[in-house]
Amino acid sequence: MTPPRIERVTLLVLAIRHLSVGVWVILALLILSAAALVLTDRSDSRDDRALSMWVFSPEHKLMYDPIAARTSDTDAPLDISIMSIAAIQSRMMSGFFGGLPTADLIEVERATIGQVFMGPTEAIGFTDLTPLLESEGLLDQINPPSLSPWSTDGRVFGLPHDVHPVMLAYRADITESAGIDLTQAQTWDEYFAMLRPLMRDNDNDGRIDHYPLAAWYTQPDTVELLMLQGDGALFDEHGVPAIDSDRNAQLLARIVSWCLPDGRVAVDIEEFSAAGHQARVDGVSIGNLCPDWMCSIWRMHVPGLDGKLKLMPLPAFEPGGRRTSVRGGTMLGIPTTTEHPDEAWTYAKTLYTSPDVARELYTLVDIITPVRSLWDDPVYDQPDPYFMGQPKGRMFIELAPMIPIRTSSPYNRAAVLEVRDAAIALVDWAQSRGYGFNDVESIEPRAKQLLERAQTNVVRMMSRNAFAALPEQEDREQ
Amino acid sequence: MSKPLLHKLALHLGLIALGIIVLIPFAWLIIASLKPSEAFFSALFLPPGDGLFGVDWGALTLDNYTNLFGLGFGRALLNSIFYSSAAAIFATLFCASTGYALAKFRFRGNGLLTLLILGALIVPPSLLIAPGYELLYDLGLLDTAWGLLLPAFAPAFGVFLFRQAVLQSVPDQLLEAARIDGCSELSIFFVIVLPLIRPMIGAFMLITFLAMWNNFISPQIVIQSADKQPLSVAIAQLRGVYRTDYGLLMAATVVSVAPVALLFLILQKQFISGLTSGAVKG
Repeated sequence: MTPPRIERVTLLVLAIRHLSVGVWVILALLILSAAALVLTDRSDSRDDRALSMWVFSPEHKLMYDPIAARTSDTDAPLDISIMSIAAIQSRMMSGFFGGLPTADLIEVERATIGQVFMGPTEAIGFTDLTPLLESEGLLDQINPPSLSPWSTDGRVFGLPHDVHPVMLAYRADITESAGIDLTQAQTWDEYFAMLRPLMRDNDNDGRIDHYPLAAWYTQPDTVELLMLQGDGALFDEHGVPAIDSDRNAQLLARIVSWCLPDGRVAVDIEEFSAAGHQARVDGVSIGNLCPDWMCSIWRMHVPGLDGKLKLMPLPAFEPGGRRTSVRGGTMLGIPTTTEHPDEAWTYAKTLYTSPDVARELYTLVDIITPVRSLWDDPVYDQPDPYFMGQPKGRMFIELAPMIPIRTSSPYNRAAVLEVRDAAIALVDWAQSRGYGFNDVESIEPRAKQLLERAQTNVVRMMSRNAFAALPEQEDREQ
Repeated sequence: MSKPLLHKLALHLGLIALGIIVLIPFAWLIIASLKPSEAFFSALFLPPGDGLFGVDWGALTLDNYTNLFGLGFGRALLNSIFYSSAAAIFATLFCASTGYALAKFRFRGNGLLTLLILGALIVPPSLLIAPGYELLYDLGLLDTAWGLLLPAFAPAFGVFLFRQAVLQSVPDQLLEAARIDGCSELSIFFVIVLPLIRPMIGAFMLITFLAMWNNFISPQIVIQSADKQPLSVAIAQLRGVYRTDYGLLMAATVVSVAPVALLFLILQKQFISGLTSGAVKG
């Protein structure tokens, strides 16, 4: 028996009056927001012929848009979308796993690229650009070490966007007033020795006023940067882990010795925090490791250092050793699923080899291009007031060919974190035995043991991947 | 002063102190959103100057908010309100009806269906990202509001929650009496069942609204167009690679936190009463 209409209405009223005010408010929000969205709907004006490009930096879009507009006479305009690195990573990998279209061009940050190289080479979601680079002579134009993070098995899967050489940015106002000429320091030992006289507590607050270097063993990026500088390699050229090499043990022992309480020369300063910026302004660290991209960050966030810093090549670990390192990086790849591979390649090489983009890249964010033929641009010779009028761009370019070659192993980050953990354990061990700055040789054997443990952990992780390059069985058993 | 009064005073002073500690991060956030970029790292709270209390009041600015809405944050705010309220309303409706059906109807496959729903609870959400992306692509739902909302309309957690709530709160005799009196199944659900599980409705709606408001991973995979992004994704994209305008970022965070905080401050009595109304009824 169906209740009459009036009873049904009564029942409905009875039912809805039981709902709380909160439910009504959310319902009202739904209706109002839906109405507002419908009223303000902007119909999609995207050209169906357009190629899509994903970038993670608003500055990149700003640089590419005018060039892309000029290049759109290829009959396919370029639609550039900005999204976070995490969003690019999630979408890109979801697309690659499902064999689905993503974008026609994707910019990928170095921390993300490892995932792309996780499987066999033929299953990589990006187009192998090696034949194109060879046929168009681009391989000779690009700074060779800048290709390494984007290459696997001798094949190049991305155009490098940058070089990111590292220099030492030091407080010239402090050192020059103390009569110290740091440019004479060829090695880290000489550098620390020259700055020892400044390691005093002049304001009697119980703390040393100046430390020679902002670097700490708990910072994985710093440890990696310094080990790369010293020719430490966590993987060989085939992607096989080589974490426990003698050279790595030497370097780890050296870096850790800088942080030991007895004779400490390094200081722990956060890179992207107010406290860290203030410590730099206060001169707590004299020297700071400075990749080219860091210059624009300091200029924006640490105006207090304006006109107080100078750049110099990194002191080497040994006389005649490498005077620079490398940190970070971006590439541009063309997914294999693109329906417009030729147009995508045209855009890729136009954007990444354009003199205008290279100039803007340096002017906007202090980054030098990896395209060697563009290094003659006078923009790189302009004096930078932030760095006491030094021709910063030219100084970075002089070091660019010397940056270390990096691995593209998907396990690199895991290996770096293992090395960081080994450094932490090594500091504990060395401190408990009273070792200090001058005891590198005494702590080196222990560094080797800890790196062997790190190597075992990484190999165990890699062994779960059927496609990972592992050491020979007998090496693993040793 | 009497002992109970002293006790009360000490208690209130302690609570005020704790309240201040809780509010410090919010105060910092609001002040940071009013500071220009150059003052962001030079002063912990208010910028020092010659003004009242030694503060440079003139340095505080609403520019970050102006710039924020100039970047299209109004649209992102509207999107977030729509996604969250739609998910809250429809997920509650679908989960409650499904939970009721599983709890009170005898049909073939009921047990298996319940087991499947229970099984879905133990699948880590990150495992579903790639297959979910493929499914949405095949359905043509990528970069649409439906692509984001449909998977949120009947979460396994909600279905199981309501199944348990119906089992505990709705006696079979009541349903049988309603059927004898000629009540339709739909009326039984809306007039008898929903009021009885009202505490669960309030709680689940609150959970779902907040979960969708804070949802970050799904929208950044599903939604690609800037004008469809919710606040969580729009804020994340304010973090630059080379530099970040922290004042702008803090203003965006205030805009993101304030509406939900305001909504639940106003409605907390209703939600709490919803949560507790069935607690003593047995």
